[in-house]
Amino acid sequence: MKRMRFSLLAIGLVAMLALVAVACGGDNGDGDGASAGNTVQTVKDRGELKCGVKQTQPLFGFREADGTVVGFDIEFCKAIAAAVLKDHTKVEYVDASDASTRFELLAEEEIDVLIRTTTITASRDRELAVDFAQTTFFTGQGFAVRTDSGINSTSDMGDAIICVQTGTTTEQNVADHFTDIGLEYDPQGGLSADVAAAFFDGRCDVLTADASDLASRIAVRDDAADYKILPQIISKEPLAPGVRDYDSEWKDVVNWIVHGLIRAEEIGITQANVDQMASNPPNTEVARLLGVPFQGGEVAALGFDSVDPQFIQRAIKAVGNYGEIYDRTIGDNIPRACTLNDLVINNSGCPDGQGGIQYALPYR
Amino acid sequence: MAVAAGSAPPPPSNVPLLYRRGVRRLLTQGIYVAITAVVIGYIYTSLDLREFGFGFLDEPAAFKVGNQWLVDVDGVTNSRLTMYLVGVWSSLRAVMVAIALSTVLGVLIGVARLSSNWLVAQMAMLYVEIFRNTPLLVQVVLVYTVLLVGAPLIENVFNVGDFFFVSNRGMAIPWPVPDSGFWGAPEWFVWVWVAVLLLFAAAAQRVRANRQELERDTGQPHYANRWALALFAVGALVSFFALGAPVSMDLPMIVGTHYIEGMVMEPEFTALVAGLTLYTSAFIAEIVRGGIQALPKGQSEAANAVGLSGYQRLTLVILPQALRQIIPSVTNQYLNINKNSSLAYAVLYDDLFRVANIVQNKAGHALEMFFVIIVTYMLISFAISMVMNFFNARVTAQRI
Repeated sequence: MKRMRFSLLAIGLVAMLALVAVACGGDNGDGDGASAGNTVQTVKDRGELKCGVKQTQPLFGFREADGTVVGFDIEFCKAIAAAVLKDHTKVEYVDASDASTRFELLAEEEIDVLIRTTTITASRDRELAVDFAQTTFFTGQGFAVRTDSGINSTSDMGDAIICVQTGTTTEQNVADHFTDIGLEYDPQGGLSADVAAAFFDGRCDVLTADASDLASRIAVRDDAADYKILPQIISKEPLAPGVRDYDSEWKDVVNWIVHGLIRAEEIGITQANVDQMASNPPNTEVARLLGVPFQGGEVAALGFDSVDPQFIQRAIKAVGNYGEIYDRTIGDNIPRACTLNDLVINNSGCPDGQGGIQYALPYR
Repeated sequence: MAVAAGSAPPPPSNVPLLYRRGVRRLLTQGIYVAITAVVIGYIYTSLDLREFGFGFLDEPAAFKVGNQWLVDVDGVTNSRLTMYLVGVWSSLRAVMVAIALSTVLGVLIGVARLSSNWLVAQMAMLYVEIFRNTPLLVQVVLVYTVLLVGAPLIENVFNVGDFFFVSNRGMAIPWPVPDSGFWGAPEWFVWVWVAVLLLFAAAAQRVRANRQELERDTGQPHYANRWALALFAVGALVSFFALGAPVSMDLPMIVGTHYIEGMVMEPEFTALVAGLTLYTSAFIAEIVRGGIQALPKGQSEAANAVGLSGYQRLTLVILPQALRQIIPSVTNQYLNINKNSSLAYAVLYDDLFRVANIVQNKAGHALEMFFVIIVTYMLISFAISMVMNFFNARVTAQRI
């Protein structure tokens, strides 16, 4: 009798496990990267945007002591939520701090969009289930050293111990670069916050990461003067929001929100004047961008199938234009004037060989 | 009435169909098979969609891993598989050292817990309770933090006579390397010396056994251990010089801000091994104590009665018998060391799990990579079990 009860229990357990496996599997099967998705509809049905963000990087995506997440990338999550859901607070910030699992989160539909200082590369586009929208931040890979180290470029780094975040383009760039210049180095790899801590403890001679990343980590330290970032940049790192492959509607929406915020800065629409601009647009382009009629005419039907024409207006209302986002979150910690992230239209005043490349595509 | 053994009782006709044993068995097995088929079928179809395969491991790695020892792989021309094997080697190294250290420490602490000296016993108990009751992850990270923050910067390195250095870049010690010696011999000469050493070790073992037998037969002291040791030491010295000193010590040096030459124990390795050792030795100590206490009290009383010293009592009477109890449990602890070595992830040590993560991040194929990781850990575990089963068989085969 006892034995029978036991075997019944076992059957029950196995059956339950199998059901769970099949049920979970069903979800994943639907969301396989190869099938076309409709994330806009998913987000609307859910009533919340799942934004994969970094929580360990000051200025870009950082979890404060009180649990709120703040930073440059976070503002774009809010902008998308405002545009799609008409409420910039309807965001669930999913922790994507671990570089090595961030694309899995996207592929498995744990997140709708990945805004986490992620570089666009051809291999990621090809091999992973990710598609990239417009670049939000242009940077390049740089090196931080102690001010008194006597290191002024990578040619001084023979046999140096270099702290590098694993699972990133950074890691490959540094391997390629040291092969090119024919020097040896000794890597210490790990999560970005861990390798930064090891560097500041003196475990490594050099910390390498995106120059913006280095600047953000050094800027928040009391002993910031003890460290310097070398002027040498060894790579292009355009950081962009990532969306799932084969979902062009969603990619379009995210893409044009970024372009819209940049365009807003170019033509002087701000968080403060967006309401006034919307009620009385000075020209047809402002009217189109904000999705309002110009001088009593028709609204240009530039919304996408799944979002109404005012989506960019709401994004600007929620977080301001690109320049306002930059000033509010990054500010002077990483100077913007005449660097890659400045607007192209501001370049006339820059020294030779310098200037921005932020340029919004025409909204028409 | 005698029923022949093994013959089944006559099938009772009044039992309902569902309650018949044969039907029951058929039914349960049918359900198991059906469920297994559904699960395997589902997994198979989903893998099919994801282009399951291991070809990505042959592509160039384009990354370099740290904590390399006795290997030097730059990752530019090597495949992802090669880099993974470098990670496996790093894991193995940490596991082997941790197993050796935790065994020695565990036996010492376990015996100390039973010491008649009150202070020693209490210290041992304190050790066990502290390290058994705190998480291993905390211990590993704590040791790492102490090594990084507590040890001096490389600029203020702690230097003992220019051959031993401590900084938060690690501990550098002299290390033997092959040397051409005064005959100008080629590098492989060192292996000749190693072979000669092994010969002398075997000879010493033989002498030891002979003298032990003599001691047993005659009752006169024959100093087996001392003779064996002396033979080995003399043999090693003579052959070393006869072969022209094929080994020299490589002294560590500091150039700029990094060590060269010598052997560098990096803080990541030290932290991982120290954490694993502290934690596991506490468990092994308890196993050793339990194994000893499981022996009848008469064993140690008898050993005392025939006049054995405390050390002899332990090594000749108590431990050989206790080993029967101890080895199976200790094997479990060794397997735990293997599995827990993946906590290297917390201290920047490039073990197999981290390297696998890097590969996965570059190539996708998470499922395949986890398959490789699991198989690797299982193979290491099987190897440990095999060795321990061999020891166990030898211990239990011995008549006591």
